[in-house]
Amino acid sequence: MINDFQYLKPASLKEALAMYAEHDDCKVICGGQSLLIVLRQGMLAPEYLVDIKHVNELKYIKFDEKDGLRIGATTTHREVEKSDIIAKKYPALVAMEQKLASIQTRNWGTIGGNLAHADPAGDLAPVLIALNAEIKFGNVDGEKTVPLDEFFVDYFETQMGHGDLVLEAHVPAPEPKSGCAYQKFNLLDSEMGIVAAAASVVLNADGTCKNARIVLGNAGPTPLRVTKAEDLLKGKKLDDKLFTEAGQIASEEAQPVADIHASEEHRRHVLGVLTKRMLKKAFEQAQKAA
Amino acid sequence: MSHKKFSVINTPVHNIDGIAKVTGRATYTFDVKLPGMLYGKILRSPHPHAKIINIDTTRAMELPGVHAVVTGKDTLGIKQGIWRRYEELCDEQILPLEKVRYIGEPVAAVAAVTEEIAEAALDLIDVEYEVLPAVYEPLEAIKKDAPTIHEGVERNINVTRHIEWGDVDEGFEQADYIREDWFKCSGQHHMCMETRAAVSNFTPEGKLTVWTSTQSAYYHQALLAGVFGLREGDVRILAPYVGGGFGGKFEIDSAQFCSGILSMKLHKPVKIVLTREEDFIASKRRTPMFYYVRTGMKKDGTFVARESRMFSNGGAYTGMGATALYLSGFFHSFPYKWQSYRYDGYRVYTNTMPSTSMRGFGAPQAMFCSEQQIDWMCADLGLDPFEVRRKNGHTEGYEVPGQAFIASCGLEQCINEIEKWVKSKGKLPANRGIGISSCGFMSGGIFNWFDSPYSFSSAVITINVDGTVELHVGCQDIGQGSNTTMAIIAAETLGVKVEDIRVHSGDTAHCPADLGAWGSRQTLMAGNAVKMACEDAKKQLLEFAYAEMGINIVYDLDIKDRWVHIVARPERGMKYEDLVKKALRAKDGQRIMGRGYYTPHRKGMISPAYSYMMQAVDAEIDPETGKIKIHEVMTAHDCGQPINPLGLIGQLEGAASMALGYAYLEDMPFEDGKMMNPNLVDYKVIRAPEMPKTDIIEIDTYEPEGPYGAKEAGEGLTNPTAAALGNAVFNALGIQMKELPITPERVRKALAEKKEAQK
Repeated sequence: MINDFQYLKPASLKEALAMYAEHDDCKVICGGQSLLIVLRQGMLAPEYLVDIKHVNELKYIKFDEKDGLRIGATTTHREVEKSDIIAKKYPALVAMEQKLASIQTRNWGTIGGNLAHADPAGDLAPVLIALNAEIKFGNVDGEKTVPLDEFFVDYFETQMGHGDLVLEAHVPAPEPKSGCAYQKFNLLDSEMGIVAAAASVVLNADGTCKNARIVLGNAGPTPLRVTKAEDLLKGKKLDDKLFTEAGQIASEEAQPVADIHASEEHRRHVLGVLTKRMLKKAFEQAQKAA
Repeated sequence: MSHKKFSVINTPVHNIDGIAKVTGRATYTFDVKLPGMLYGKILRSPHPHAKIINIDTTRAMELPGVHAVVTGKDTLGIKQGIWRRYEELCDEQILPLEKVRYIGEPVAAVAAVTEEIAEAALDLIDVEYEVLPAVYEPLEAIKKDAPTIHEGVERNINVTRHIEWGDVDEGFEQADYIREDWFKCSGQHHMCMETRAAVSNFTPEGKLTVWTSTQSAYYHQALLAGVFGLREGDVRILAPYVGGGFGGKFEIDSAQFCSGILSMKLHKPVKIVLTREEDFIASKRRTPMFYYVRTGMKKDGTFVARESRMFSNGGAYTGMGATALYLSGFFHSFPYKWQSYRYDGYRVYTNTMPSTSMRGFGAPQAMFCSEQQIDWMCADLGLDPFEVRRKNGHTEGYEVPGQAFIASCGLEQCINEIEKWVKSKGKLPANRGIGISSCGFMSGGIFNWFDSPYSFSSAVITINVDGTVELHVGCQDIGQGSNTTMAIIAAETLGVKVEDIRVHSGDTAHCPADLGAWGSRQTLMAGNAVKMACEDAKKQLLEFAYAEMGINIVYDLDIKDRWVHIVARPERGMKYEDLVKKALRAKDGQRIMGRGYYTPHRKGMISPAYSYMMQAVDAEIDPETGKIKIHEVMTAHDCGQPINPLGLIGQLEGAASMALGYAYLEDMPFEDGKMMNPNLVDYKVIRAPEMPKTDIIEIDTYEPEGPYGAKEAGEGLTNPTAAALGNAVFNALGIQMKELPITPERVRKALAEKKEAQK
């Protein structure tokens, strides 16, 4: 049962930040797709809820060839999924969204809420990190922008403190000869991932690997970069053998925890398989890309 | 064929309550709100096995808004059960006096002015327990030194069942090839959209009315009267709409019992709706089973002997589990003519939630073992699995020795159709396989362990002045569409349209008794009662028609599509509405009423009729991760004469989603007696977007015992799927899956073992 709370509905971002700063025992709600579950389970029982659903200043998708993509925090998953420009420039983001829970959840859930919730099994963060995204958050005193892979601190914990709101996710413009792919492993395609892997590959003009990013989902307390495997690939001519090797490293570097859905061994094994497959997919996209 | 000349039957009809449901106007128990109603909550045991030393309710009673707190001491302490004829199987006190036997068992209940206060009061009840050693698995619980769960029950064996025919030892002597395997079949949650719920209203006049989510209003009337010390007639059950049952809603549940006790104490209405978590941990479940199967075949594929032993995890109480124990062993022989057959089933108590009946009633487990082993033996002997099934399959007129007589059987056609379908798919890509499984199912049980003195099914129809019809039935619509089925049978029989029929069900005060919705019984049994009631009324109407039309008595009269006419001269007749008006005047204003009933006689031990089917599952397995993708489920199905093609498709799709869930998704893991996934994030069920394509080929047969030739269609469709998926995995990767559900890790393990064996 959800405990009673005071409902606050700010009209602007400024007002929202002020309300949040004013009340100590206070949580922020937007789509409610993460918060409502923990409220219902009684894990949280805040006295105040600030509802930022109507703070329209944070609802936008902007793209610029130089600056890249900027998504406001209250933009819904469904808006990302349905965005033509994102489909064209960052198809991996759209593909990820299509398998994120149900349409109902995507209609309500927002980008900001998803990242602030910091569930290591979340689908959004691994793809954004693979795309080298940064995140902007702020409070009444100011704003701060950090690389997204540094934003997450622990299970359900980020660099944000009380009074901080996620404001925007920023993804750099796609580099030439680049590709990105994401897949989660689960029993039903749109369920939460038991484990997941995202990979991006950027190629040099000579076809060698200029850069690669590998991010594992639900493989530790936060989305997990596998830099050791990334370093293995950089500067090399990529092939299946290297992808398998990178998968092996990912499997070893991961820190998955067993639960009823899969053992630790199975999680590590599948993380290796997914890493190998996503690297290959990203590589093939990069080869075809302009 | 005469049975095909229908005006209503076999044309697609939308559920007659569909609009009320999709527009939110249908009143489920959850929606019932009465003046002065209180809300109840139940305190449940955190221990799998413990003595109750003391329960102190003082602090809870002091909380403002709390009206009553009840414990076992407030009850009559009656040990109840649904197998009423067998005292030793009536083993469950819903608020136990002495000890708890599973985590989630109710120990106290609170009624308060709001749900929140009732919930808060639970924390203020002080229960002192003495924790006892517990046991969770049947193969452990059956050991000599295992803890005793029920006093006086040796080795925790709750019920045993023996089925045997032919000379099994001689059969194995004759066999050219014998194979034996162990299988482990998991439990499954019923997962009704509507959790268990009840609003009980006991009034000072001594009458109790209960709105509840039930599969059998009559069972609950009788059972609740029993535990509350009331006369059956003083208990009225109302269940106008029920959000699913699947075999889990005809024993007394904690919502019904606790709201009843509280209401009787307070003389106020009390409502209890179980949360999803409570429904998961403290209702009942599909029975987990361990099967040992030994089968003997001739080189040519003739089935000469089978010997099976089954140990089921009964959980803490009997429930409907005793029936599942028998039916599992019976359907384990299906649908084949075993020259000799022996089954020994042991239902074992454990300190886990009780297990009970669930759609398929023990058959999905039995088929998972039997149908896979048959395929493996065919592969070992180089035989064609279709041919072997055809060779040994039931046929019309066959008698299962000492058990059942098969009056109609379309199995061979089912096998032929699926064989054609599978062959049409040609060669499959790597890691993809199609698996088959055949089976059959009953059309209602002939069991009467409930000891009902009433007919198994009854119906009453009354015809209004304008020709509209009030049809009162005791059969229970739980979402499967039985009210629609009954309306179709009534309209067909009487010669009117479906919209002329208003169906009344789910009210014991106004509807005749009926055993309810279980064992696929309603279409055949209640359908026969409805048909008889309508024939009774029609005969009376036609008597007036003869007089009114003044025709020669050698002519036959009939009514079709509201037209009363001479059968040989259909243009000569009168309007049905006019006839009804005239009949009313002629009977001094009494309305025409018809009565019908059905109780099976001379139909063997199990059921009056059996459906048959073969199913094929097309699946692809990722050998690296073990993940299974289901491409398609195709079923050839003999349900006799289909009554409502739309209803049939609905049942098929529902069964496929439930049975696929059982095959590769749904599981109820326990740790120290505690269910680890009592929520819909961690308990996986297939949702609409993930449903694979399903289709059905209807096989035309006619069942002489069924209304218009109809048999069961819905429950049996849950039986073949897990086995068919297992066989698909076998055909795709050559591995044998002996444990349910078929998870990616189990697939990988089996692949690793296969690799090891090949070294």
